[in-house]
Amino acid sequence: MDNLKITLALIAAVLLQWTMRNVAEPLAYIDFPLIVVVYAALQRNAIRAIFFGTFAGLAVDALSGGLLGASGFTKTLVAYLVSELARRVYLDNLLLRIPVLAGASLIDDLTYYGVHRLLGQEPVGQVFVVTAYSLIGTTIVGTMLYIMLDHFMSERARPRRRDSFSSRRQTRRRNPIRLGK
Amino acid sequence: MAERSQQEVWRLTPWLVVILLLGNFVLMAFDARIDGGQRVIRIWAQTAADFVQSPVTTVSSGVSGYFASIANLRSAQDENDLLQERIQQLEVEKQGLQDLVRENERLRGLLDLKEDGTFKVVFARIIGRDPNVWFDSAIIDIGSLAGVKLNMPIVTDGGLVGRVTAVGPLSSQIDLITRDKSGLGAVVGEISESTALGVVSGTSDRNVVVMRYVSGSTEVQPGQVVYTTGQDGIYPGGLKVGEVVEVESGSATTPHIIYIRPGAALGSMHEVGVLLYEPPPRSDFEKAVPNATPTPRP
Repeated sequence: MDNLKITLALIAAVLLQWTMRNVAEPLAYIDFPLIVVVYAALQRNAIRAIFFGTFAGLAVDALSGGLLGASGFTKTLVAYLVSELARRVYLDNLLLRIPVLAGASLIDDLTYYGVHRLLGQEPVGQVFVVTAYSLIGTTIVGTMLYIMLDHFMSERARPRRRDSFSSRRQTRRRNPIRLGK
Repeated sequence: MAERSQQEVWRLTPWLVVILLLGNFVLMAFDARIDGGQRVIRIWAQTAADFVQSPVTTVSSGVSGYFASIANLRSAQDENDLLQERIQQLEVEKQGLQDLVRENERLRGLLDLKEDGTFKVVFARIIGRDPNVWFDSAIIDIGSLAGVKLNMPIVTDGGLVGRVTAVGPLSSQIDLITRDKSGLGAVVGEISESTALGVVSGTSDRNVVVMRYVSGSTEVQPGQVVYTTGQDGIYPGGLKVGEVVEVESGSATTPHIIYIRPGAALGSMHEVGVLLYEPPPRSDFEKAVPNATPTPRP
């Protein structure tokens, strides 16, 4: 069920990326597919996140004037790096996810610019300006979307949290030192 | 058992990443080598996206138009004052009216090509912009069914916009002249009166294009208008490209570098015209490498 929900979220993100720039130019700085790819990578399912990165990147590239495969390359890389990080560090806290998303946006933009320059293409726009705007836009919108996604995706999370909380309290009550006193 | 399979997944992941990254890199390298062709995947994606982009564009135009009309009502009094001032200014600008009339006639002559018979203009609506902020391509709502073909020029009443780079049955993708790969032959001033010929291409600045290879011995001033020459094999001659805004002067041995502001409002256009223009066929020798010498016939 989670797989279906997150796949639908990714498709919605790709559709938003295809259309939002036509509504207002500044919306182009928000990388919706990257937000969902990072979210998928934070769920500790690396393979799903990596495939999502490739699919979302190629979908964006197909309608872009840039090189076909460039976004696929960067988003696959970002998905892998974030899933590796999530495997080693506990990142379920929203506050910890914000710098992760900002870092992912930075890596994505700089890698995208780099591979184009490597293959003799000159992207439009100043690299620091575009990267900064993209980082700010993606991080702010991504944080809000993560709250929504957490709400819709983790129906089991709340009971689980409640369970863990109650069991901890139970353990404290059974603490032998306290009982000894 | 579950723990072991999880470990296997983590062991497999780096290999999968390497394969996918290599696949994407091969795609990029292949795409970078395509010169003048179009991507099949882009055509299909474009056709699929058309079903989403067209309704979104229609709805967003309607919503923004509604709010714009409310804003206009609120600012009607201010607008009235501004219009009064504008009337005063128009009296002054009347002096330059003759030039504007001539320019208008010339542009009409360029765009009213249906009667000319050489090439027609098909009007199109922009239904999508580049989903990636690093590029500025756009998607229009007509394709091969309306007679659009690869490399056909795109214009607005302000001037040249770009060319068609991918054609689907219902929609087409266009690259703007601000892209660095969009070289076009151009001349500063009227074609018959000027020798300031050069090549216009995009820069990293969205609002400016650059013209190179113009002889340093020719005189070029800011404010002069730049037109296409028709020698690039894509665009017809006489289309307005833009206006010179800055000149890095060259010398007898070094060319000028001329910065041009495009005449078309590339950032805010909603409708464009596709010139159904096909350049005259080039001979085999012209298609060969530029420094090739013709083989003597026996």
